[in-house]
Amino acid sequence: MASLVGVYAASHGPLLVREWAAVPEDQKERLTAGFRELGRRLAEARPDVLIEISPDHWVNFFLDNLPAVCIGVGEAHDGPPEPFLKEFPHRELNGHPEFAQHLARTALDAGFEPALSHRLKLDHGFCIPLWRMQLERLPRIVPMVVNSIEPPLPSIARCLAWGTLVRQAIQSYKEPLRVALLATGGLSHSIGEPTMGAIDEPFDRDCIRLFGSPAGKLVDYLHDNLPKTGNGAEEIRNWIVAHGAAGGRGFELIDYLPVPAVIVGCALAAWRL
Amino acid sequence: MGPGVRDYWLSKLFFDLQNPAAAAEYRSDPEKVLGRYPITEEVRQKLRSNDVPFLAGRTNPYLLRYFFFAAGMKDEEFIRRLRNG
Repeated sequence: MASLVGVYAASHGPLLVREWAAVPEDQKERLTAGFRELGRRLAEARPDVLIEISPDHWVNFFLDNLPAVCIGVGEAHDGPPEPFLKEFPHRELNGHPEFAQHLARTALDAGFEPALSHRLKLDHGFCIPLWRMQLERLPRIVPMVVNSIEPPLPSIARCLAWGTLVRQAIQSYKEPLRVALLATGGLSHSIGEPTMGAIDEPFDRDCIRLFGSPAGKLVDYLHDNLPKTGNGAEEIRNWIVAHGAAGGRGFELIDYLPVPAVIVGCALAAWRL
Repeated sequence: MGPGVRDYWLSKLFFDLQNPAAAAEYRSDPEKVLGRYPITEEVRQKLRSNDVPFLAGRTNPYLLRYFFFAAGMKDEEFIRRLRNG
């Protein structure tokens, strides 16, 4: 039987790379230390497979074909296409088709209908955290795209249910596989709307606190408050999937800091299993 | 356009200009690139005048941001136009 060996989350804003030089030194140090700590914990968990959850930022999908959820079931995935990530050290990332297909089958049997892709391009959402975590060896990646970019978006309650389903898929996989999960994105930010650049620190701190409460409170809070904050915060869906997968016991916050230079409330967390 | 309604070809232009070569071509000869898309004359005029709020009502905000980044507009100017027109 496979085992869940770690559940983590990290922000992924592209300016963490593109505008890194503009980040004040003390914030650079905290961000670097936070990502390193996450990388240390992930390496220590020795996962064979890393389920990675991120939106697709208009790289694989467009308005003509826009899945709410897509699971990458291929043998390999492409590295990031964004020019500012040309130094990312992996042009191809190995997948794990057997586990990914099992996840897809488990989903379909439970009445969930993900899209499937045998070759995804993994954009900054997937690759910046992996890069900044400074992993010596990449586990095999099973990417899971959750749409938080182009409305209508999957509901928060559904994302929580997806997390529970991911947990069930790990528990029901017959091979002795060590599986970790990394959710990326968030917390608050605003892209291409009049509030662009704003970081909603009260929202971020409420969310961080509520991840330690019963899941219903968090779902209700997000239902009421996501429409009132910047669109980038919609990526918290990925954290919700992680929360469901981890069994909802809350997380240890590795760090949170609003970083105006990258226009994101940056957070890193590791769930209690 | 109502909430959630998208100008498909305007959005497709923005999507395609994520490619650096396409973005460079647009910066050097926007009319040539625009000629490949069935975008209405009204929308073409708004593109020429950098009418950010008008265009914002017709596309996804991430695509809007990518487009103006590709077109060479600084974020500060983009945000100013988003807020004030």
